[in-house]
Amino acid sequence: MATNRFAVRKANEKKSRYLDINLILVVIFLLIFGLVMVYSSSSYDAFLTFDGDASYYVRKQIWATLAGLAVMILVALWPYQHLEKMAWFAYVASIVIIFLIIPFGHEANGAKRWIYIGGISVQPAEIAKAAMIVFLACIISRMGRAVSTWRGFAMVLGMVAPISVLLWAVTSNASSAIIVMAIAVIMLFVSTPDYKRYIIGAVGVLLVAAVVVIIIVTNASRSGGSAGGYRGDRILAWLDPEAYASGKAFQTLQARYAIGSGGFFGKGLGESMQKLGFIPEAQNDMIFSVICEELGLFGALALLFMFIFLLWRLKIIADNARDLFGALLVVGVMGHIAIQVILNIAVVTGTIPNTGISLPFISYGGSATLFLLAEIGLALSVARGIHVRDL
Amino acid sequence: MAPAYNDGKVKTFTPRMRKKLRVLFIIILAAFVGLGIRLYLIARNNGEEYARVVLSQQEYDSKIIPYRRGDIYDRNGMILAASNKVYNVILDCSILMGKDEYLEPTLNALNSVFDLDISEVRSYIVTNPSSKYKILAKRVSYEEMLAFQDLKAESEDGDLIKGVWFEDEYVRQYPNSTLGCDIIGFTSGDNIGNFGLEQYYNSTLSGTNGREYGYLNEDSDLERTVIPAVDGYSIYSTIDINIQNTVEKYLADFNEEYKNKVNIANGAENLACIIMEVDTGNVLAMAQYPVYDLNDPRNTDALIGARQVDIDGKKTTGKPIEITSLLDANNGMVDPDAVDDTETETQEDGRDTEDQDGNASVTETGTDGEPLLVTESLYVTEDSLRLMDDDTLYQNLNSLWKNYCINATYEPGSVSKPFTVAAALDSGSITGNEYYNCEGKLKVGDHEIKCHNTYGDGYLSVAEAIERSCNVALMHISFACGKETFLKYQHAFGFGLKTNIDLAGESRTASLVYTPSTMRQTDLATNSFGQGYNCTMIQMISAFCSLINGGNYYEPHMVSRVVTSDGSTIQNIEPRVLKQTISPSVSNTIIDYCNLVVTGEYGTGKTARPAGYMIGGKTGTAETLPRGNGEYVVSFMGYAPADDPEIAIYVVVDRPNVGTWGAQADAKYATRIVRNILTDVLPYLHIYMTEPLSDKEKAELEEKNLTDTHEFAAGASSETETMEDVSLEETPEETPAPEEVHEEPDEPWRDFAIDPDTGYAVDPNTGAYVDPQTGVTIGLNENLPGGGAPLTADENDSAVGDAPDPIN
Repeated sequence: MATNRFAVRKANEKKSRYLDINLILVVIFLLIFGLVMVYSSSSYDAFLTFDGDASYYVRKQIWATLAGLAVMILVALWPYQHLEKMAWFAYVASIVIIFLIIPFGHEANGAKRWIYIGGISVQPAEIAKAAMIVFLACIISRMGRAVSTWRGFAMVLGMVAPISVLLWAVTSNASSAIIVMAIAVIMLFVSTPDYKRYIIGAVGVLLVAAVVVIIIVTNASRSGGSAGGYRGDRILAWLDPEAYASGKAFQTLQARYAIGSGGFFGKGLGESMQKLGFIPEAQNDMIFSVICEELGLFGALALLFMFIFLLWRLKIIADNARDLFGALLVVGVMGHIAIQVILNIAVVTGTIPNTGISLPFISYGGSATLFLLAEIGLALSVARGIHVRDL
Repeated sequence: MAPAYNDGKVKTFTPRMRKKLRVLFIIILAAFVGLGIRLYLIARNNGEEYARVVLSQQEYDSKIIPYRRGDIYDRNGMILAASNKVYNVILDCSILMGKDEYLEPTLNALNSVFDLDISEVRSYIVTNPSSKYKILAKRVSYEEMLAFQDLKAESEDGDLIKGVWFEDEYVRQYPNSTLGCDIIGFTSGDNIGNFGLEQYYNSTLSGTNGREYGYLNEDSDLERTVIPAVDGYSIYSTIDINIQNTVEKYLADFNEEYKNKVNIANGAENLACIIMEVDTGNVLAMAQYPVYDLNDPRNTDALIGARQVDIDGKKTTGKPIEITSLLDANNGMVDPDAVDDTETETQEDGRDTEDQDGNASVTETGTDGEPLLVTESLYVTEDSLRLMDDDTLYQNLNSLWKNYCINATYEPGSVSKPFTVAAALDSGSITGNEYYNCEGKLKVGDHEIKCHNTYGDGYLSVAEAIERSCNVALMHISFACGKETFLKYQHAFGFGLKTNIDLAGESRTASLVYTPSTMRQTDLATNSFGQGYNCTMIQMISAFCSLINGGNYYEPHMVSRVVTSDGSTIQNIEPRVLKQTISPSVSNTIIDYCNLVVTGEYGTGKTARPAGYMIGGKTGTAETLPRGNGEYVVSFMGYAPADDPEIAIYVVVDRPNVGTWGAQADAKYATRIVRNILTDVLPYLHIYMTEPLSDKEKAELEEKNLTDTHEFAAGASSETETMEDVSLEETPEETPAPEEVHEEPDEPWRDFAIDPDTGYAVDPNTGAYVDPQTGVTIGLNENLPGGGAPLTADENDSAVGDAPDPIN
């Protein structure tokens, strides 16, 4: 493998540089598994929609994956320290690219989330997430101890909030907004010694959420129907999916049927029935339900284990990073992946209201895969900075 | 605080941060474990339930593939009834709503091809977005379906037309609408035959529905299987559509002539005719009037003029009926316009409403809600239709749909006289040489039974008794038989028994004839001339065929062949001789007697003879019950040709619309119909003229566009025709034209073209091969009568003068 040879040569040059082969392998495993599952879950729909072209989605995903791997290698070889100077550039760039949606946006499923540049569609939210990780790592490491103060803490959050709000307002993509905020919180959590404020914050968020839910439910019961608007309906559907079985809760309910009907060992790869038109766009956010149906609880837990292993590898890299910036970068990547996995599975299992979050490395989606692999590249770059003898 | 937090130095990831990272990792791990547990719980608690839900969501519901009901053909393969494929347009809203851009192109396509109201469809889609099955249009033709598919394939946004599919269905169509309606019958929506062949052969015509269904194989994979439908068998009827058409035409002509003559009603209460092959029992035509459109059997227009029946199916008597509640009466009404009319009329003025036709008039009306007294209408009119409730209307339609020829029972009258004579001759009770003195009446027991000629005909031979239709002589003959013998023969002729003709709805008549224990002398007397017992037309003509074909009683039947949907024959229904009713010699005697009815000086059926032909038969005039009401059933039952009967015809005119006593002893209402029908039908059946034509008859033939068929008959025999003398004397309007006969070339075959392959001459009229030297027909054309016309002429002649001398 080119990467290997290259890495080995570099390692020889600069003594022994660390190459996290475990991380690479688990990512490649996840990517291949993702492609298999994208094909399994999308081939029926693609066959019908694209006149017999069953591999339409998986082909596009393969190209995105290959491009992503190339980007990952480039980023891994590029010393991440250069990024430290680009914090503000990343910040401004994400704002600009979000605003690009307004003229260049492409609408699909009722929301403008993609921009077309030169025939390639990109999701600005994915760029913003990666950019925020870089920005936050840079800011936090620069602020040093100041970040532990209330003022520093608030300042960091205050700088991230506009991006989050923009994402919500411009792309009407609440989940990306939440993820960006959550990445910030996680990075702050790791870099500050405090617990209390996070516990208070978490409880506060939960309380606010509970109050919102209660308000929506009472509104709905008072007006005898869907009074909560677009997101309100989703919350009502989450609370009582059977009542919205053919409407808002259709997707979640069908996904849950898929999980349940898979049993412990599944129906076998490719044998899902729910992907046959019942789970809309099964290759996207709901791909985990098809995995559960085909591979059962066993397959699902195996996949979760792979993610845990991936996160554990990232944790190792962060722990051994040469500097704070590198460590925070990896923590951000880890937080990003962890949040997406957790939220995605929580949505699929109906644990939280439905919101569009894809499963990293598995779900169909070129931008997400490409930028996730770039983030992995960052992590590898940080890993390269580790001297083996340091371990 | 750790020194690493100091600014200025190289910042590192401090142990404290590592610890927090560990905490973070544990939190993440905890979340994963939580989700894992959640997955486990779903799989454990809801696994089976959800597995069932998933399976039930799959479309392994079965879909019926309809079979095609078999066709009904006439004997020449003309379609009488056929099932044609049509398509129901089905909308699957859930597919259509899949993408917004589907909606408009699909709606536009539906509108342009099927002319559907866009806004209606749209509102349905909006209110039922998940509906998967909505029938938008029923029974669209193949062409329309194709137009839609083309639009889908060729138009620009054709691939955006989604969610519309077609469901097959067959619709029963009767291309000749009213023709043969009572024989064919019709089907109700679910492919069940009603009446006639459709009902009798329902199981033959029906196939088996196919099915398309999904099932789960042992790997729980959904598989779809199609079991194709098995189409029904088609049947070939013995009916000839052309003969049927002719018969119906003349029945309709009669109706046209006598319609509304006395009553505002049809030309007769019932008009019916059967034509049958004498030597097979094949029914060639069976018709009645009024008719109805098989494609629209519930159209009440066909009822107008028919005898009305009440809610029990009994004929109305004209008694006053009470309409207790206006609302009730209105609810039962058929025509919504009529409801409005009556309502406004009665509610606004509450006064008498005069009926224009005078058939059903309101004689007394009260104010709102009080009973209305209405005279029951005897015949169906538009007004009486309005007053019918649904059940009564159904009864009236039912009586329209019934086949009079097999369903109605009536007293046959004098057409039964040949049977009485045949029974007496065959049993040896009389020799045929007897003479009976008719004084116009005969006292039987305490009753005095009149002859129709109340002045009496004096001494009559048996032959003359038939010729003149003398009741007194027939009573004497029946007395000679005695009731046991009489009833034995009546049974042998099939009276009181079903003929088992293959049509639905034949009446049972067992209770309508006498048994030796119930028959008194007066009953025997009246039975001898066809009163006092009831029969059906099909019984009568089937038995009559046996009288004139040498005594072979054939089971009458309507279907000759059953074929599969791909045309291979699976069953041939051959003529079945059930019994020998009389000896062949008696049969010949009866033929002689019946010929006299048409040819004899006093024959009652002379008007039945078509120009150029000699036929035989018997007239009938039966009084209906109650006696003395002045209403008659007149009939003529005959056969042609006279010397060697090939077809039998029976026409019944039930209560012609000529007023009370109008039809007394006058069978001409029936004989004229017979004459008209035979004039057209005999040439069609390649039965050629044997009798000379008068100028008047020639003119008549010309008018009807019929050819003189003398020349087709084998040459020599017609020249030796001696009957012409008899007919000349008896029917003055028949001016014999012997020259005409002689004008024919002696050897017409000499002019025929010679077929180069065989060397034989080809008869241009029949296509048969003829020996160019002798004129003998070689070809297989059975339509060429092989001579034999002369035989009966002399014998008939002698039969008139002398005692009958049975041939053989």
